[in-house]
Amino acid sequence: MIIDTQLAALFTAGALIVIGIFGALFLDNLIKKVIALAFIGDGANLFLVSLGYKAGGIVYIFLPGMAMSNFSQNASYPLPYALVLTSIVIGASTMAVMLGIIIILNKKYGSISASKILGE
Amino acid sequence: MSLPNLLIPLMVIIPITCALFLNLLHERIRTVKVISIVVAFALPIIPLFANYGTHYFGGYAPLIQNPISADLPTLITGTALYIFHPAITYVYGSAQKLMIFILGIVGLFAIFISLYEVKKPSGVYIYLMLMGIASITAMLLSDDIFNLYVFFEIAALAQVGIVLVSKIKNNYETALKYMILGGIASPILLLGIALLLGVTGNVNITDIVYSIRNGLINPQSPVLLMACSLIIFGWLYGTGLPPFHVIKSAMYSKALPTGAALLQAFSVFSLVAFGVIIIRIFSYIPFTHVFLLAISLIAMVLGITMAITQTDFKRLIAFLAVGELGYIGAGFGLGTVFGITAGLFQAVNESIITALLFIGFGTIMYKTKETDMQKLGGMLVATPKSALFVLLAGIALAGVPPFNAFQSKLMLVQASLNSGLPEIAIIMVLMSIVTFMTFMRAFHTIYLRPKPVDLEIKNEKIPKITLVAMVIFLAICLLLGLYPHLATNFLQGLAMSIT
Repeated sequence: MIIDTQLAALFTAGALIVIGIFGALFLDNLIKKVIALAFIGDGANLFLVSLGYKAGGIVYIFLPGMAMSNFSQNASYPLPYALVLTSIVIGASTMAVMLGIIIILNKKYGSISASKILGE
Repeated sequence: MSLPNLLIPLMVIIPITCALFLNLLHERIRTVKVISIVVAFALPIIPLFANYGTHYFGGYAPLIQNPISADLPTLITGTALYIFHPAITYVYGSAQKLMIFILGIVGLFAIFISLYEVKKPSGVYIYLMLMGIASITAMLLSDDIFNLYVFFEIAALAQVGIVLVSKIKNNYETALKYMILGGIASPILLLGIALLLGVTGNVNITDIVYSIRNGLINPQSPVLLMACSLIIFGWLYGTGLPPFHVIKSAMYSKALPTGAALLQAFSVFSLVAFGVIIIRIFSYIPFTHVFLLAISLIAMVLGITMAITQTDFKRLIAFLAVGELGYIGAGFGLGTVFGITAGLFQAVNESIITALLFIGFGTIMYKTKETDMQKLGGMLVATPKSALFVLLAGIALAGVPPFNAFQSKLMLVQASLNSGLPEIAIIMVLMSIVTFMTFMRAFHTIYLRPKPVDLEIKNEKIPKITLVAMVIFLAICLLLGLYPHLATNFLQGLAMSIT
């Protein structure tokens, strides 16, 4: 059975978010927790980018010689792509800060166990 | 474009640019001081001179406002595309003017005090403060929900940074906890925004509201309800309403007094920025008002009752601040013009009073390096002037006349009664009484009881700028208490436009 690409992307996004929330809540290793948080962010980004998907669509760039009707009917919606780029940058910055804090806490405690550093 | 209209984006651009510049210059103390002072003055001054209006980034106004639109085919002019906003839009009205001005005043004194209390001021600390102020200013101005999300994230990072530079015990642990929770809440907020985009095809709030109200999309769509829930969840995290009240108050307590004063102002104005959007877009869903009211009452009760049990005075003020956020949320939850005006007025008042309290109690930290109330006492003799100012600030916080919070809380009580919800009015009054009692207990412990033998008090005088800041904050409290219309006239327009 061939699943629709957009539907598959949405399911994957949902799965990433659920796995990420589970990991962020229940994993004890702080690095794994950060990876789980990245899963949630990636799930949200994939969800966002899949909104702009159009089956058989073309890139939203009007090239010379292109028929206006072909462009207007087939071009995919570009806004989610623009937004998701910003979101990826934000996610990367947040993750960098979190990892930086974990490095410092690891020096202080000699461990990256959430239960040891952050308490229950 | 005229100069005053150009000032609208400059309210965000100037602090961000100077922040980045200061970060590069953090070793050059004199240059850092000069630039910081100039930018700090610019923060409250620019909003005073900016004209009300709209700014379209890139100059892309809606087609209806564009001269070339006369030649466009009816295929476009006959649709909503003709009035939709293609660019990121900033809207500057009277309410934004007042709130950005107040944020600027809090920022001005936070920067000044940090410059004078620290011998070697850090460009990094000022950088973080300016980034936070710029982000919250952008959130107040932006009419674009994704732009709002971006600045919401920058503000969250700036808040974490402000806590990290404080060097207070366990600040790293608290910052990491806050970021982990943010790592869950922020994508959830983004999902809510993505759902809105998916349903309406738009991220401009005015266009989304237009689409819903004019039947371009089905307002009863369950996707909209889901988007509403997800956005409200993100809002709770950003503002520190329950279930995020404990981590938010911990963040306040792990920041320096100037940082804490700013952090609470960030929370208050984030609450307003997102609250306005939630009401604008989702007010037609009855669930929205009920949920806002419920969560606000929980915040009020939890925040203020948890403050009673605190022994750390910064934590105590932090919980009281969370409780006060409940009053603002209740104003939004009531959903009437009068209620929302009262909520906005309470936001303005709370941001000043709590900043005053953090800075006032900061003088205790300055003299003793101690925040545990059980180890303090007799501070009235050591800091008589700041004791008086702190006492007046506490009285103001509890809503005692003639200060400003009395007026806003009275308006909130009246709005609750007008909406047929006397229970909420009773809870508000009771919580104000508990706030007063909690504050007076802390004041007695720190200032009035005999000084413990082992308490060391530094001989250094409190910097004059700290006392000046407290006097000016108190003067604003008194002015708005005696003449509330000075604020409500500015805020009423926004309340009317979103209901």
